[in-house]
Amino acid sequence: MQENNISEANLERCLKCNLCTLVCPMMEVNPEYPGPKKAGPDGERYRLKDPAYYDYALKYCLNCKRCEVACPSGVEIGDMIQLARIKYGSQAKRKGLLGLRDWTLASTDLVGSLSSPFAPVVNGVLGTKPVKAVLDGVLGVDSHRTFPAYSGQKFTSWFRRQDQSAFDKFVTYFHGCYVNYNYPQLGKDFVKVVNAAGYGVHLLEKEKCCGVALMSNGFAGKARKQGELNLASMRKAIAAGEPVLTSSSTCTFTMRDEYPHVLGLPNDDVRPSLMLLTKWLYGKIASGEVKLRFRKDFSMKAAYHTACHMQKLGWEYYSIELLRMIPGMELTVLDQNCCGIAGTFGFKKENYVHSQNIGSKLFASILDAGVNTVLTDCETCKWQIEAGTGLPVLNPVSVLAEALED
Amino acid sequence: MRFDAVVIGGGNSGSAAALALVEAGLKVCVVSEGLSLGVAGSAPASIATQQNPPYARLAELSAKGATVLRGDSAVSGNWDGLKLKSVVTRNLADMPLEADFFVLATGKFFSRGLLSDMEKIWEPVFGADVYFTPGRETWSDPDFFAPQPFMKFGVLTDKEGRVLFGGKPAENLYGTGEVLAADSKALDINKLISRYAGK
Repeated sequence: MQENNISEANLERCLKCNLCTLVCPMMEVNPEYPGPKKAGPDGERYRLKDPAYYDYALKYCLNCKRCEVACPSGVEIGDMIQLARIKYGSQAKRKGLLGLRDWTLASTDLVGSLSSPFAPVVNGVLGTKPVKAVLDGVLGVDSHRTFPAYSGQKFTSWFRRQDQSAFDKFVTYFHGCYVNYNYPQLGKDFVKVVNAAGYGVHLLEKEKCCGVALMSNGFAGKARKQGELNLASMRKAIAAGEPVLTSSSTCTFTMRDEYPHVLGLPNDDVRPSLMLLTKWLYGKIASGEVKLRFRKDFSMKAAYHTACHMQKLGWEYYSIELLRMIPGMELTVLDQNCCGIAGTFGFKKENYVHSQNIGSKLFASILDAGVNTVLTDCETCKWQIEAGTGLPVLNPVSVLAEALED
Repeated sequence: MRFDAVVIGGGNSGSAAALALVEAGLKVCVVSEGLSLGVAGSAPASIATQQNPPYARLAELSAKGATVLRGDSAVSGNWDGLKLKSVVTRNLADMPLEADFFVLATGKFFSRGLLSDMEKIWEPVFGADVYFTPGRETWSDPDFFAPQPFMKFGVLTDKEGRVLFGGKPAENLYGTGEVLAADSKALDINKLISRYAGK
């Protein structure tokens, strides 16, 4: 790394090589998006001159960070674009009904808490044609999209009745909104795997949504407050000697890297202890501390999709290697492609076509692979790939849980 | 995380060396800090047969079973005397990459395989021996089109392409490509394959 670098997000290191342009998934489908080089380091020079140069087409950035992974010079292109959107694009925050839509999509905790008790009703109503037509026509939520179903029982409610007192060592679980409100099964699988490794599970004293949806919808202030609360809770767990483990690559990436880079929340003390369960587990198995026993009759033909933020973390190796440890697992690792959904981005009517066009390459490669299941560490990739291929998509943690010997 | 070989650098020379090793049946990990256009290069002879540019070769490497750490970079090494035991990367931090042998292919100044200040030039991952002439005024020729002396600077190796430290070769760290001094000998990929592939 170059020393004495004073520019934010390494702006001055951009050599204009355009390798970020090469990998940007949005540029392949949408000529209105200027691309990472122009939107990032080039545009930044203009914005520093006068904020009036801010280009509203930056809203098309998926924040997939594939530009940063491709950059040979360490320029934090994605961060630069995110920061510009927060700093200069706030006046672009939508008013009226589209504003209400963005706020609703971003408020995962509030909407989840309100919906869970009425899950059957909410799920039923959201799926009906007239409601979809209203969501599409009035609120701009594309009618092709189906909201992930709400679970009647929150994960935290289930967990409260689990006895973990038999264990003498513990990990702390950051479950995230999706596990809590929509898919508690993944949380149950997490507990099963951690228990099988000889550890008990604690939850954080307080947990809020990591804030990724708030950030991408223009609510950075609220995201920062939630981030502060999450970090404070994590510090307590880490002080008690427990790592904070997760099951979502995007929540993990947001709390490790976006907190300091985009929200300005220092987390150097938390970062080394905050990781995906698959990374922690791989380390425990590699060091010989943990040995998992798998069923002999397990069989699965699956394709592994590296989610964009998993790629940015650089941790897909751990999930892939753990999956390969399972006898009866026939695994194809897919080529690096974005699925196109990018969280709440793909739910918006104006983005739906781009989202599908980006995903089409990945869908085709999955269908070509001749598998019956797709595996990925990201929940929004799961929705997109299930809708795009018709195949079930599972988190590697759920597969490990299923393959464990009882 | 244990491999037969870890190649540091996914540019022209690194990806070509990695591909040859993978095709010889070795378990290979490539650490690639970003993609590379790979226009320049004193790459191994096998490069001439490579159809793909280096950035596309990374996908080929993945498809052939190599572990490619994209967007990651080597930070330091763990040594046992002059034997390199493992390499620490930024993203994997607490889980170093162990291997029988390692290839240094981090490129020259543009890709920061070599760094410089006003007095010296150094190789940042391991602190290997680097050839350069004393006195910064000797590094460049004011005639822009003249051969530039700094382009000859780089990491020193022995006759087998092993990287030197204090004049002594590392047991299992080989150099290749632009990171090397112009007069340094690059690794012999076929020798490496015949030495390690049968193990």
